[in-house]
Amino acid sequence: MHATKTASKAAEARKEAGTWLKELRARAGLSQVELAEKLALKYYTFISQVENGFGRVPTEQIEAWGRALGQEPSSFARKLLSYYDPELHRLLFEVKE
Amino acid sequence: MNVVSFPGRDLPHDWQRGEMNALLAACGESLDKGTVAGWEIGETERGDPQLYLLGPAPDHECVLCVSRLGRQYVLEDGEGRILCEHDAIGSLSDQVRHALRHKKAAIIARATVVWLAIKETIEERMEPILGEPMELLSHVAPQLVAVI
Repeated sequence: MHATKTASKAAEARKEAGTWLKELRARAGLSQVELAEKLALKYYTFISQVENGFGRVPTEQIEAWGRALGQEPSSFARKLLSYYDPELHRLLFEVKE
Repeated sequence: MNVVSFPGRDLPHDWQRGEMNALLAACGESLDKGTVAGWEIGETERGDPQLYLLGPAPDHECVLCVSRLGRQYVLEDGEGRILCEHDAIGSLSDQVRHALRHKKAAIIARATVVWLAIKETIEERMEPILGEPMELLSHVAPQLVAVI
């Protein structure tokens, strides 16, 4: 039995999203612990999970994450969508009538 | 019981071999059945080790995440919900096993709902198509019999 390591397009996009979120947090001058406190999370481990590209910011938390990172929520959500669901992002914001 | 031994490679991020063997043994059944397709290890900004159990292709979403903060282990799902906090790796492994079984049951339930919805849609669309020839046949058949 071998536990396999995995990589896919979606995983790569999540990693890119994680890197972008990490940069935003650094720009906001927050540590992972401080961001977790702002988001009222008990542990900061989920911040790390997302920044390392293994988790997504849950939809219901996007606004809070955006505000905590000093971002305007709708543009923050749009950028996240471009990583998490690029096809939906293309249809909503890139395809012209 | 499935025992998944941790492959002999370097263990960065402060994970101990015993911990990894216990955690991977807990997800052995799910690895066999494909609920878990793989795993990765990482660490937090403070250097606390994390183990990510990943779901099937194509997305390989994080199914569960185990973190060790000091002497305490924290088990979270892929959306940051805390499932368990414990300081004993044995108890945590039991929770990992339990969470993965629950996850599998949820996947089966979702698949069943989707299958029933598809079945209902097909039946709704097929009924008028199948109904018309039967109606036509019921009109034509007596006339055919009369001719014969």
